[in-house]
Amino acid sequence: MRALGLRTKLVVTFTGLFLVFTLVFAWYLIHRQGTIASQALETRAKGLSGILAKLIAPAVDLDLDKSQAENSLAAIKGHKDLLYVVVLKADGTVYLRHSEARLPPGSELLENSDTTRVEERGQLVHVLEPIRSNGKDLGTLAAGFSRQSIDQEIQTSTRTVVLFSSVILLVGFLAAWVVSGTIARPMLEMATQLTRLSQELAGLARTQESASSLQVSAIEETRGTMEVMLASAQQIAESSSVVLGNAERTVTGNRDVAHRVEELNSHAERVAEILAVIMQVADRTDLLALNAALEGTKAGEAGRGFTLVAAEMRRLAESVMESVAGIRRLMTDMRSASHSAVAAGQEGIALSEETTRSARDIAQVTQQQRKATEQVGRSMDNMAATVTQATASTRQTAATAHDLVNAALRLDRLVGTSSVVAQTQRAPALAAPEDGGGAHEPRTE
Amino acid sequence: MSEEDQAHGGGKADPVEPPASPGGPVAVSLMLLRLGQRWFAMDARAIEEVALRGPVTRVPMAPSHILGVTSLRGRLVTVVGLEQMLGGAGMLPVDNSATLPRLVVVRDGDFEMAVVAHGIHGLIERAASAAPVRPADAPDFVREEFDWQGGRVSLLDTSRLVAAAARLAGMTSAAEDAIP
Repeated sequence: MRALGLRTKLVVTFTGLFLVFTLVFAWYLIHRQGTIASQALETRAKGLSGILAKLIAPAVDLDLDKSQAENSLAAIKGHKDLLYVVVLKADGTVYLRHSEARLPPGSELLENSDTTRVEERGQLVHVLEPIRSNGKDLGTLAAGFSRQSIDQEIQTSTRTVVLFSSVILLVGFLAAWVVSGTIARPMLEMATQLTRLSQELAGLARTQESASSLQVSAIEETRGTMEVMLASAQQIAESSSVVLGNAERTVTGNRDVAHRVEELNSHAERVAEILAVIMQVADRTDLLALNAALEGTKAGEAGRGFTLVAAEMRRLAESVMESVAGIRRLMTDMRSASHSAVAAGQEGIALSEETTRSARDIAQVTQQQRKATEQVGRSMDNMAATVTQATASTRQTAATAHDLVNAALRLDRLVGTSSVVAQTQRAPALAAPEDGGGAHEPRTE
Repeated sequence: MSEEDQAHGGGKADPVEPPASPGGPVAVSLMLLRLGQRWFAMDARAIEEVALRGPVTRVPMAPSHILGVTSLRGRLVTVVGLEQMLGGAGMLPVDNSATLPRLVVVRDGDFEMAVVAHGIHGLIERAASAAPVRPADAPDFVREEFDWQGGRVSLLDTSRLVAAAARLAGMTSAAEDAIP
């Protein structure tokens, strides 16, 4: 069961107060009115009875005729409250009786009394007034008065009081309604605003918490990537170191090959020189053999054998020259190949040196990258710590916002409009924080 | 061995070529030499020697067929270019000579000159032709032309060659004096 709202409480309280006040006021006023009317009736009855007793005392004392005594009662005839007047003599006999209305038997109080007595019996007020003359008790005047006029007056007063009290109660209710509204409206607005601000604060805190979570995830992912990059940089550094060593060995090997090829070229040049000498010797041998054959021919038949030998020598010489020419062609090819090998070796050296420089650059860059990656990793750790701290602060803020929401809900319940409750129920963002703050959960009654 | 050499038998001239029969024409020893792409033959008996072509010194105001003079074992020998004397047709030098350029030294009386040859094939024996074939427009020092192993060989008359060289140079040789 939901508690009553502030306005209702205020209205009920003020209205209750007004009701009590008006009831007390009405009761007091009616009771007072009755008392006053009774006292007035009693006073009037006593005064009237005393006057009548004094007026009728001579007649009773002189035992005059009743008609004379009745003349004394003429002044009170037609009194609205007077019901009867009975004059009793001291011996208890009735001297005079006057009735304004027909009364039931036994309803009169007929007793002798030494003092003035007033008794109320039912709706009647009885007065016993002793009749004295010259210090002698002559009898008692018994008079009865009706309370009907008093009751009518009390009823009239009661109606007036009830009407007046109702008006006062209605005015009080209206005043309570207005005053409670005047009090509750700012509180309601304040509660609504507080709820809205709490919702916004909670939403902001939740958004910030979500952003912080994403940021933490991003930082973790970045840190993982940095670790992978660090491992890759380490691997690249190792590979570049291996490449650097291989490139340096390749440079050395290429230089060795180039040196050997240069030696080979030098040897080939030497062979070419020797071949040139052999060629020259063979050429001169050919020339000598030719001249020998020529001389043999000039010698005629005797030189024929000489000519044959010279021809064989020429064949030998030309065979040598052909072989030398073949060797020269081979040497030319070999020289061309060696030149190509030297060029390729030099290109290989250049490439190896370039590879060496690149490997050194890669190693240096990788070292810098590793340092930068480590620095980024440290920055990520610091950032993660900061974000974690910010997340904790955000959760604290969310808890505070949730407390504010609960306070707003309590204020709303106090005000009694339930608008905030409905608003809260429409907004799931005002649910308990994810970290499970059971103490912060809103109470639903 | 040059291609031209191979075209003419693929080797040196066989000096044991069959000589002319005792009853036939007289066989003569000829030296085959190449000048550019043309082949020439000279009587071996008219050839003093074959020498390497050394440095040739140009002679001022000399005609074009006189290439210069060269020193040959202490003697100054006039170097003659056959291509200039023949007009140069088909005698451009080839680069595939197996040997270095030669100087074929010929003598006619006291006159000695050297003819540049790009290659020497060697000596061949050939019987003198009874009816030599000679082109009409050939110079007078070309005695005849004959076929030899699929090629055309111009047989040079050494005496007339020396005389022609001397005549073209404005000189008079013994051979020219002897030529009717």
